[in-house]
Amino acid sequence: MVELSSLLKFEDVSLSFGGITALKNVSFDVKEKSITSIIGPNGAGKTSVFNCISGIYSPDSGNIFFEDANITNMRPNKIAELGIARTFQNIELFENLSVLENILTGVHRRLDYGILSGLFYSSKAKKGELYARKEAEDIIDFLEIEEYRYSYVMSLPYGIQKRVELGRALALAPKLILLDEPAAGMNNEETEDIARFIIDINEELKISVLLVDHDMNMVTDIAHEITVLNFGEKIADGTPNEVIENSSVIEAYVGSSKK
Amino acid sequence: MKDRLDFYNSYKEEHRIFNNRVQRFWAVFGVLISIYTLIILDDVWLFLLTLAMMTTIGAWGLNIVSGFAGQISLAHGAFIGIGTYTAFVLGGNIGSSVLSYGLDMAIWLPLSGIVPMLFGILISPVTSKLKGLNLGLFSIGIVYFVLHIFQNFRTVTGGSGLGRKSPDFVFLGFNFENGITIGNLVLNENNLIALFSLVILILSGFGVKNIARTKTGRAFFSIRDRDIAAEAIGVDLLRYKGIAYAISSFYAGICGALLFTFTGGVEPNQFNFVYSVTFIAIVIIGGAGTVLGPLFGSFFFILMPSVIQEIIHFFGLFEQSSLLNLAQIERLVFGIFIIVFLIFEPRGLWGIWFRLRNYFKAWPFSY
Ligand SMILES: Nc1ncnc2c1ncn2[C@@H]1O[C@H](COP(=O)(O)OP(=O)(O)O)[C@@H](O)[C@H]1O
Ligand SMILES: [Mg+2]
Repeated sequence: MVELSSLLKFEDVSLSFGGITALKNVSFDVKEKSITSIIGPNGAGKTSVFNCISGIYSPDSGNIFFEDANITNMRPNKIAELGIARTFQNIELFENLSVLENILTGVHRRLDYGILSGLFYSSKAKKGELYARKEAEDIIDFLEIEEYRYSYVMSLPYGIQKRVELGRALALAPKLILLDEPAAGMNNEETEDIARFIIDINEELKISVLLVDHDMNMVTDIAHEITVLNFGEKIADGTPNEVIENSSVIEAYVGSSKK
Repeated sequence: MKDRLDFYNSYKEEHRIFNNRVQRFWAVFGVLISIYTLIILDDVWLFLLTLAMMTTIGAWGLNIVSGFAGQISLAHGAFIGIGTYTAFVLGGNIGSSVLSYGLDMAIWLPLSGIVPMLFGILISPVTSKLKGLNLGLFSIGIVYFVLHIFQNFRTVTGGSGLGRKSPDFVFLGFNFENGITIGNLVLNENNLIALFSLVILILSGFGVKNIARTKTGRAFFSIRDRDIAAEAIGVDLLRYKGIAYAISSFYAGICGALLFTFTGGVEPNQFNFVYSVTFIAIVIIGGAGTVLGPLFGSFFFILMPSVIQEIIHFFGLFEQSSLLNLAQIERLVFGIFIIVFLIFEPRGLWGIWFRLRNYFKAWPFSY
């Protein structure tokens, strides 16, 4: 296999809240075009990693690089503009908007017409809106949610909401997509669907994926590389097979399931 | 491939404001009826309809910042005041005791939107960083600050208790006072002001609709619904909150300039805290966050008291009652309406209209 270059470098990042250490000198890379995963028991610091990458939290120390840019203390919207999109562990959809509108909102950063253009619905705005619509429809097709297009998101089942949120993130046409427990709370069939979408996103849409989960099963099936966190520290990394066999990982998981 | 092309054409169709025959029919019909009404009327109802149209523009402004972008503003009246005085200073008749430049409406009307807009932009570094209760409190501070200036800045406002007269409606050299006669149709000043308001109303309405259906509006909605997610998809919160304030203040200013030029003058205390709250009530009754809601709310607010009065007169109710006078009954009924709406129809009058529209969807074309 050809060694691919790093798209994202998470370097020696520490983060704490008052007395609680959420992350302690955590480092890992996301290779271009890969599916990389972070796993670990609840409270291990996985969501904190995402919040650091997407600019919602500022690390106490360490650096985060995306391509050539140091994004460590950038505003979230700037980071999104560079091409990092994400979903949230607890769904964060725009609840008063329809599925279509939610996904259209995701196209925001790719529409370059100005405020006045929009106010007068100039031909530039019109062209932009038609483009946005086409992009949104492609995503709706891809995620197989055509029948929900005009539904208000709060009226939809949980699994579909998760998919819509994925769609909104895809609408950014990101280079890297961060998925925070995309299969949480889903049954086996729904989990398989999500796994298939993630593989398609990676292979067809050529988007790198950073996937967080506390459940090892799906991750070991689809990830190329895995980083394991426990109590804010990296305890292992490697290919799925390497990680499964790692004794400290087994201990962390067995230990946490005993609790 | 052909499928896609069809799809594309249908989006084009769908993205129009009035995207089918039925809607286009009602839009044209509505405008024609409005013009006809504003031409034939010449009484208190014409006056009220004109007030309602002007009020709508202000309500739309508040709806943009609060209903669309979710930023509470209790200072809307202050921006309306700033627009009003911009118009009065620029358009006021030269020779009066207060600062006046006697300019044409073609100059003072746009500027009466731009000046409050600039003021909105000026304070937006603060307003954009505040949220919820703090933002509400800050905006109350703005109302009192601006009111204090209005009360004391005599050369501009005439001062507390006195006020000043408005400019005249002189647009591109034509004084509305002269009226227009077309054949045997005579349009007096009131008809002309009403028709002019209708034009501004329609333009403003298209502005609101265009915001709602483009990227700007979606950015506003996203901030209102989930600000963290909004930022994570690339919406610049500070910028878009600032834009919402700017557009909102522009509408406020145009509303004030028209409204108080129409009523003939204004006293500074008009722009008190209660005035700002009135606009919040209008937006809520109409349906916050919708395009047509503020229009419904404004017409309801302006016309309802007179409708109630007519009804009371018609049935001869309460004529001799010593318990409540007419004005009290009006306010009581109005208050009850507001409470009923808040409880039973959170989407306001717009919600009722929406259900009616769905009921009569294709009328009169289908079947
Ligand atoms: N905003 C916050 N304030 C305080 N503590 C937090 C905050 N976010 C995360 N934490 C703490 O950091 C630790 C890691 O949390 P999190 O990153 O959510 O873990 P995971 O996603 O792996 O379940 C937990 O102990 C959690 O309580
Ligand atoms: Mg988490």
